[in-house]
Amino acid sequence: MEFLSQTYVALRGPTGAPQTPLETVTRLSDRLSPATLLADRRAAVLSLKGIARSHKQIVGEHALPGLLDIIQNDAEVDPDIGRAALECVHTLCDTLDTQYNLRDLGFVHTDRILENERTIHKLLALLADQDYHIRQCSCVLLTTILHNRAQQAQVYFLKAPVGPGPVVALLEESGDVITRDALRLLAALIRQSTEIQKILAFDGVFEKLFNIVTREGGLDAREHVEDALKCVDTLLRFNTSNQSYLRETGLPSLLCSLLYFNPNVQPDEGVPQEFALQFWNDSKTKCAALVLEAIGMLLGSKGTGLREGYAFTRLLIEMALASNAPTRLKVQCLRLLPANAAAMLPDMILTPYMPVPETNGEEWDRLEAATGIDALLELIMHGEYNGLDATRRFKEGMDLRGTAVAVFENFLREDRVKEAIVSGMLPPENSGLHARSPVTPLLFGLILPPSSPLDRANVVSFQFAAVLFAHLIRHAPQCKALARAIMPPSLAPMPPSGAAPSGGAFFVPADGGQAPPAEAEPEDQDEPQTLLQLLTEHLSLSFLSRSRAGLSEREQRECDRVICSYLSLLSQWLWEDPKAVREFLEAGGLGVLVEQLNQPSEVDVVIPGLCAFVLGLCYEFNREPGEITRETIHPILTRLGVDVLVGRMNRVRDDERIKVVGPDFWVLPCPTPQALNPTFIPMYENETEVWFDWAFVDFWKSNNYTVQRGLVADPNSASSSTVQSGEESVLVASLRDIIAKQAAEIEALQAKLKELSASSSTAAAVTTSSFDEERKALEASLEAERTKRSEVEKEQEDLLVLLDELSSKRARDKAAMREKGMDVSEDEGDDDEEEEE
Amino acid sequence: MAGISWHYVLKFIITGDAAVGKSSLLVRLTDQRFLANPDPTLGVEFGSKLITIPEENKIVKLQCWDTAGTESFRSITRSYYRGAAGCLLVYDVTSRQSFQNARSWLADVRAHADPHLTCILVGNKVDLCTDDAARRQVSTEEAELWAQEEGLLFVEASAKSGVNVEDAFERACRDILEKIRKGVFDDDRSPGVKLSKPANSSLALDQAKGGSGQCCGT
Ligand SMILES: Nc1nc2c(ncn2[C@@H]2O[C@H](COP(=O)(O)OP(=O)(O)OP(=O)(O)O)[C@@H](O)[C@H]2O)c(=O)[nH]1
Ligand SMILES: [Mg+2]
Repeated sequence: MEFLSQTYVALRGPTGAPQTPLETVTRLSDRLSPATLLADRRAAVLSLKGIARSHKQIVGEHALPGLLDIIQNDAEVDPDIGRAALECVHTLCDTLDTQYNLRDLGFVHTDRILENERTIHKLLALLADQDYHIRQCSCVLLTTILHNRAQQAQVYFLKAPVGPGPVVALLEESGDVITRDALRLLAALIRQSTEIQKILAFDGVFEKLFNIVTREGGLDAREHVEDALKCVDTLLRFNTSNQSYLRETGLPSLLCSLLYFNPNVQPDEGVPQEFALQFWNDSKTKCAALVLEAIGMLLGSKGTGLREGYAFTRLLIEMALASNAPTRLKVQCLRLLPANAAAMLPDMILTPYMPVPETNGEEWDRLEAATGIDALLELIMHGEYNGLDATRRFKEGMDLRGTAVAVFENFLREDRVKEAIVSGMLPPENSGLHARSPVTPLLFGLILPPSSPLDRANVVSFQFAAVLFAHLIRHAPQCKALARAIMPPSLAPMPPSGAAPSGGAFFVPADGGQAPPAEAEPEDQDEPQTLLQLLTEHLSLSFLSRSRAGLSEREQRECDRVICSYLSLLSQWLWEDPKAVREFLEAGGLGVLVEQLNQPSEVDVVIPGLCAFVLGLCYEFNREPGEITRETIHPILTRLGVDVLVGRMNRVRDDERIKVVGPDFWVLPCPTPQALNPTFIPMYENETEVWFDWAFVDFWKSNNYTVQRGLVADPNSASSSTVQSGEESVLVASLRDIIAKQAAEIEALQAKLKELSASSSTAAAVTTSSFDEERKALEASLEAERTKRSEVEKEQEDLLVLLDELSSKRARDKAAMREKGMDVSEDEGDDDEEEEE
Repeated sequence: MAGISWHYVLKFIITGDAAVGKSSLLVRLTDQRFLANPDPTLGVEFGSKLITIPEENKIVKLQCWDTAGTESFRSITRSYYRGAAGCLLVYDVTSRQSFQNARSWLADVRAHADPHLTCILVGNKVDLCTDDAARRQVSTEEAELWAQEEGLLFVEASAKSGVNVEDAFERACRDILEKIRKGVFDDDRSPGVKLSKPANSSLALDQAKGGSGQCCGT
């Protein structure tokens, strides 16, 4: 009560006359001096605290130094005054005020506090104070200061005589409030300061953080766990030193345990259901995502022999392919999977699960065990849970399939793996002329005829099948040769015995969609078609259905998508494969392309551009004797107009569907590009779509130029000079650029010279000599430019010769190597093709 | 967890002038490599190594914090002294200056570290003196004498040839283990020494806590 009357006196003044706030604050500030009795000082601080928010500026201006002194000298002695001073200063530094100018005052006051290290060091010491409130208020004030002016405060922190110990100790305290505040302080402290992150690791912060996580009950807990794991994330993210520290402790195994995964799991051991089937909610998902990130960082950190390496990899694979984890966690698992882990997939036995319908995710069916690679392929081809939700094309689901493709690509690192897979798609040996290939899920996805109307789930399956198959054969002559011998079975109502796709699931989409069209190939059944012929025919069919009247815009886009997939797969297959080119042309491919190019779409630039690309590519690589020769194609090119074709190809580059694709980004929002038709409405919210994968875009970008150059070549010109790898053609193009620039410079110099000599003759009398000099100089520089140019030209020639020599040497070497039975790497000459790559 | 993989975790710091070869010593210890052109350390870098002390039948996990010798980092690196159980104080035998500066490094360590900290003085780059004795600027005797006066262990080593590198760390470890045996460290009291617990038991989750879905396997 004494304090109230004191305040009253202070506010009213001894005479009872009302005071201005300034007078009050000045008066109160005066009382902060050590000369005043402690009780009076305490009363003054409490009063100041009471008005600090409403008179932030005046209080800050007059009382801040006094308050800081009190924190410095009195807080330890008298917790009440200490707490009030800390809270008052906190109000002054607060920058969360809604009023703009008040917010600025918070920064001003923070800067005043940070004029020297005194207060920061004191606050750090107070974190270890006896009194709980002093600890807590210091913690909160420090956090606010760090939020306002991190850098300066962090510098002071690093020099603090008490060291980081009190911060770490605070994390050991139990109690919701203090734990929350300590975690906030920690988060503010470690932001963007590697040094602080390291010193805290040294002082055991990781151990304390994981103690909080376990103390609170793991990922299912409601409080603090996410904050603690976020700190772990920051401590590790860009800090290799901390990564090596953590991987050497016992903590990594805890990351497994947090997800109910056995850190000592052996390759021949199964994974308990407790891990595979968990209850998931939003907050647990967020926490699990952070645990997965930590696992990923440890797996990627430098150093050898991470004890948990196998368990981590296994955990990521199991969670992605055989669990009920939320889809976005599965995407994350696959993204974090190290490239070399893909090799483990064939030997790993997984037990995938399916939700039991109508149980709201509470009951799950265990499916038959499958190898990791089968489960991965199944996921790519059909989508999560056997295509349960595939028609929706929701973002996470599509991302999951896209990321799975990247894992599959890692699996294909070695040529022999690709060859083995393609070989598995061939008809059994010695089984006669009419032998057909076994229907693998991949092959089945590829040869599904374009039905009308198109089935949404099947379209995506086909797109992914095309992407996978392209990965198998791109720049792999051996695989291309094998692939030409694939004889797909006709999709008759009864698949040939023993030829059902594994699991058979693909026939019955879980969304209750119809079984795949039962009609057989319109062809003669006795004459088996190759895969390439079949794809050519399906391309033609797709164009046909695209041209049908009355298609909705949505249907048109579906058609376009399928067509794009055919064209991109075919272009990657036909590239540098004259035999495949011949087969494609003779199967009617030429007609299809020419027809499209004759009457290209007005709106869409991609399909005509790709048609031109494939046509150019066929011309370039049509090097096998056959019905349709380069001479046959040449007049067609002339009639279509080479310039027109080149123009079409170039326009593809600017299309959003190509432009935005990156190595990890090819699942696009629907519709892309949005501008194509602003009235287009996707069927589902957050629907996504796929057009091209990065591998194709990359392929297309590096070879577009070569194809364009090939178009202008004479039918009789050998391909040896034209076939260059993407890099080489880029190099040549840049050399050309230099030459062109220099030619222009020379021209300019010549013009100037002429001008000068003209003017010099008229003004001859005056300054002949100086003109002469200038002229000489110009002539000299012209000469220099000329030699430079010829040098560059020579250089280019030499380079081309060198390239030629290199390529033929390489071809010879590889042939010799192959003779000796050595493995020969990809991207070299076809088995019977003598030229260079 | 299959058994205990180490008995003690000991925190070490490595300190001394810039370019005397602190990082090189650590890399030699952990990776058995020598880098001709390492970057100067910024702040601190962590490295660790398991060391077996056969006489004591103990496996020790060394956690080493290699600090920057550059003056501007000194206030940061000081924070690490407090928590360390052992210290490698390094100078370069071909640099008189670095030996003289070792005094001020030692003073710093004494001012901030646990009083029971074990410190070993390491004269690095002896390989340079075997070919060309004239390059030596600090004699073995002089350094040894100073070490004795200050109560430091002492060894001459080379991160390049690898000679005595592991030995330096081992000697320091033995000394600490002996102090532990004598009860100098009250186990958990000194922040630099930790008795190992089986990594899992202390932190393992109560497996029963999280719910798992039912399954009607088919
Ligand atoms: N000949 C020889 N050179 C060494 C030896 N140890 C280190 N060096 C070289 O000395 C230079 C400095 O080595 P660092 O290990 O970076 O020195 P540092 O003490 O860590 O330096 P800071 O991190 O800046 O404090 C490098 O060029 C090393 O190659 C050694 O034993 N013999
Ligand atoms: Mg260094």
